[in-house]
Amino acid sequence: MSAWVSVVGAGVIWLALLGPVIALFTHLSAGAIASALTAPGALDPLVTSVESGLVTLCVLFVLCTPLAWNLAHGRLPFPRVWEAGVLCSLLLPPLVIGLLLVFLVGPYTPIGQVLAWMHQSATNTFLALVIAEVYESAPYYVLGAQAAFASVEPRLEQQAALLGDRPRRVFRRVTLPLAAPGLAMALSIAWARAMGAFGAVIIIAYHPAGIPLQIYTTLQETGLASALPYALVLLVVALPLPLAAYIWSARAGRRRRG
Amino acid sequence: MLDADVEVDRREFTVRAALQVAAGERLALFGPSGAGKTTLLEAVAGLVQPRRGRIELGGRVLTSTASPVSVVPPWQRRVGLLRQNPGLFPHLSVRDNLCYAPTASPSEVELSELASVLGIESLLSAMPARLSGGQAHRVALGRLLLAHCDTLLLDEPYAGLDVSLRRTLTDLVSSLVAERSVPSILVTHELADAQAFADRLAVLDRGELLQIGAPDEVVLHPASRRVAELIGYLGFVPSGEMVAGVHPERVIAGGFSDRGLVLTGTVTASRPAGAGWEADLRTGEAAITCRLPDKPPVSDGEFVVTVLDPPFFSSDGSAIAAASVESEQDTAEQVRR
Repeated sequence: MSAWVSVVGAGVIWLALLGPVIALFTHLSAGAIASALTAPGALDPLVTSVESGLVTLCVLFVLCTPLAWNLAHGRLPFPRVWEAGVLCSLLLPPLVIGLLLVFLVGPYTPIGQVLAWMHQSATNTFLALVIAEVYESAPYYVLGAQAAFASVEPRLEQQAALLGDRPRRVFRRVTLPLAAPGLAMALSIAWARAMGAFGAVIIIAYHPAGIPLQIYTTLQETGLASALPYALVLLVVALPLPLAAYIWSARAGRRRRG
Repeated sequence: MLDADVEVDRREFTVRAALQVAAGERLALFGPSGAGKTTLLEAVAGLVQPRRGRIELGGRVLTSTASPVSVVPPWQRRVGLLRQNPGLFPHLSVRDNLCYAPTASPSEVELSELASVLGIESLLSAMPARLSGGQAHRVALGRLLLAHCDTLLLDEPYAGLDVSLRRTLTDLVSSLVAERSVPSILVTHELADAQAFADRLAVLDRGELLQIGAPDEVVLHPASRRVAELIGYLGFVPSGEMVAGVHPERVIAGGFSDRGLVLTGTVTASRPAGAGWEADLRTGEAAITCRLPDKPPVSDGEFVVTVLDPPFFSSDGSAIAAASVESEQDTAEQVRR
């Protein structure tokens, strides 16, 4: 009886979470999808979003993985201060992050001037889009990766060292494989966040437009019916990576259980 | 030869110990939980840094706090450490766990021979999650052996396993240590495990090494009352200016003054213990516990027992040599006359 109650309860919550997606499908027509997506340049935002999302993931993996590892292993002085720093960008509304990024990387700031000297700009460029997506998704990746590294039993790393592995080799042979399912989940969440980034993006990266911004501008210019197909595209493009991460994590777990 | 003389700071006390373990020798480090046994092993393994000391293994200086200061990192120490949790890598098969160490490159024949000795030949392709506790320990032991460690440190490795499996694994380790001729240290708070394993027994309490010697020497002639308490002496009976230590298993029914200290008292309680009986005996001001083959009479009547060659301790807790005990007993006898 209690098993049925929990299944029904879970089903109700699942359907509630899925409500907007169900609404999306019920308000879409094949004709609207075809006319929206076959217009000239209609798929450019899709390419922009995928490219910027992939670059964001690479940046996060390279720059934030060491931070997450250090946080998980308590290697940093005053760890709560470091964690609070990570949480700050999570707590600030993305729109505010975008506004503050203007003060940080805008054309009249020292960073902006250095970028200008390198013939680059962090406003209304692909770089600006990546910066905005990194700021919106980094806390999700850092916190997820920290949890993934913390789940690795420290004594296994000690054992690997005692068996003759240097720290880098321990990381490659023990820490990384054991944390990999958690890291994959953290990356997939960061990917979803990057693909859906809007608040900071609209402030510093109005061009080139990714899909979220395309949805907004289409809604402004031609109405909801024309904007909804882009939401479907966002869903279809963004979903496979997290889904693959889920499946891979589950398989890794099954393999460990023998 | 493993030669360690270290002081390691812990929150509550400092662990101070000097140990020498010869090649092929088995030393058991015995003491209560929290005595600093694991800290000592971790210092040898390089996992904790001693405040002061020197550790040498096979002529190599692993740690030296005196000039020239030297700290060899754990991955260069060639120290094998087996803990209660065998620490198998869950993402690797038994075969990959066995061959994990960079120095382990066994041939297929060597691997199957070792697996056969360890009784895990049918498990080579299994994942660690599928193994029982005993199997996991065998694999962990095999991994250390294939890594060709210069010493074997066993940190309560058999806790949680049943008695017969513990004995089997102890015998296996003993034979492998003798075959490889490496020094080994077993940390345990089970005296039976220590006795079954060790050539020498060291007793550690609150970071201090209280006694080190042959297991029967330590058990029958504890250096102090504290050592006696730790190794299972449950009663201390006043005898003149001294107290006699009574180990429950060193008591026989009947009065045999030529074999030890004869005590007369009343049995206050008895209960089955193993294949015999355990009885609480009140004798004068003291209460002792003894293990007897037969159920003792629980009544108001007197019950006579003999404590076989008990150790004697002075009022400050230090052991009194046998010759001094005899002279003190003679003096007490003369005073009584």
